[in-house]
Amino acid sequence: MSDAIIDKLRDILRDSSAEDRDWDSVDGSTTIESLGIDSLSILDLLYDIDQDFGITLEAAEVIDIGTVGEIAALLRKRGA
Amino acid sequence: MSGHTINRRRVVVTGLGMASAIGVDEKSMWANLLAGRGGIDHLKCLDTTPYQVEIGAEVDREATTARLKSLRRRPIDRALDLAMVAASGALEQAGLASGPPPYDEQDVAVIFGTGVGSAQAHHTAFSAFFEKGVKGLRPTTVPRCMYNAISSGLSIHFRLTGANYMVVSACTSATNAIGTAFRMVRDGYAETVLCGGAEGFFDPFFYGVWDNLGVLSTNPDPARACRPFDTGRDGCVLGEGAGALVVESLRSARERGVRVRGEILGYGESSDAKHRTSPNPEGQALAMRRALADAGVTPGEIGVINAHGTATRSNDLCESQSIRQVLGAAADRVPVVANKSYFGHTLGASGALETIVALLGLEAGVVPPNLNLQRPDPECPVTLVGSEPQPVDSPLAMKNSFGFGGGNGVLVLRRIE
Repeated sequence: MSDAIIDKLRDILRDSSAEDRDWDSVDGSTTIESLGIDSLSILDLLYDIDQDFGITLEAAEVIDIGTVGEIAALLRKRGA
Repeated sequence: MSGHTINRRRVVVTGLGMASAIGVDEKSMWANLLAGRGGIDHLKCLDTTPYQVEIGAEVDREATTARLKSLRRRPIDRALDLAMVAASGALEQAGLASGPPPYDEQDVAVIFGTGVGSAQAHHTAFSAFFEKGVKGLRPTTVPRCMYNAISSGLSIHFRLTGANYMVVSACTSATNAIGTAFRMVRDGYAETVLCGGAEGFFDPFFYGVWDNLGVLSTNPDPARACRPFDTGRDGCVLGEGAGALVVESLRSARERGVRVRGEILGYGESSDAKHRTSPNPEGQALAMRRALADAGVTPGEIGVINAHGTATRSNDLCESQSIRQVLGAAADRVPVVANKSYFGHTLGASGALETIVALLGLEAGVVPPNLNLQRPDPECPVTLVGSEPQPVDSPLAMKNSFGFGGGNGVLVLRRIE
């Protein structure tokens, strides 16, 4: 089942990356670590979330997050 | 050959890679050059409605995206993307890296030139800033926009652990970068250097500033617009592109058993110290003389000159005067060729693409035609290659590059027998 928040996160992650990987397969269970996202890329991700969802997340809120699905859950909790 | 001291190493080219409007591979590019097929057209990547000029030399987007995909990359910034395509070709040919990552770490330096830099990243950042203020700035704006995004991007992707930095000197950038790489290898500071230049500036702002400068051809026929040394010329045509060369010591190349594509024999540089945009024949001649002295070659030994040849009246007259100053009577027989009528003026990449063409010409013993040269300008006192490929026996070529700001760079190249 398509999840609009996951879809949007997938687009964000793909568009800010120079890496060509199978982005279509990214889903809620995909780990952030497996996407090669480092501490600098996390800041870009928070920036894109702020621009696209209008929700400002702090780095401390996502520092322990493991998967794309967990970010989506956090965004849902914040009204996305 | 009196210019070489015993402790100077011979420097050869073992890899050539390109992203140009006439090909992203050597075979296509060379075939188009010999056939007189240029790559200048109406621009597709940019809405040219607001501009006076609507033509340019674009590199095939599908071809570059496919090459990037083979490197497991997506387009991220046009200048970096084109550099990546050219570098991958050069490294593969030199037997240093091929196929997708991961690659093994190698002690190879990266010295690249650019005039404009990461135009796309700058545009994105400025647009966001003017729309949203500081809040609009992406956290990674610095690494995306820094001029060395190109050299560091190549170093990181291909895991090249030698020095990496950019040379920024307008249209002389790539020739300065190749000259710097040549000196690094010749004098023992590096064994192998990936060098060249990249430019990707078909962007609403950067295209606009060039459109506004009044140096571009307004000829409505793209195929005939760029006419170096022709009386019908009316300015240059912009092009995007990148050229990459792997240079290393001859000893290293022989030990590795790789094919040598040519030798860099000498390099000279100078500044006009006169004007921001108007060239000066004395300054250009000084760089040529220094390159010839560095190579230990007399002017009369040069077999062909690959000119800067922008197709502005100012450049053509000045460059032909400076060539005449240096060559004297030999200018009556040494053929001069300009390549920008094929792939446009690629600014900080031009020296790399044109050095590649010069090396291919030496190797093949033939110089590609001067595309669009129908009526040679009698005010240009040089001998020009005509509309057909011209056989050249001499193993020596000279490559000129000159830039806004008055910087001049010249390379002397030799065929390896």
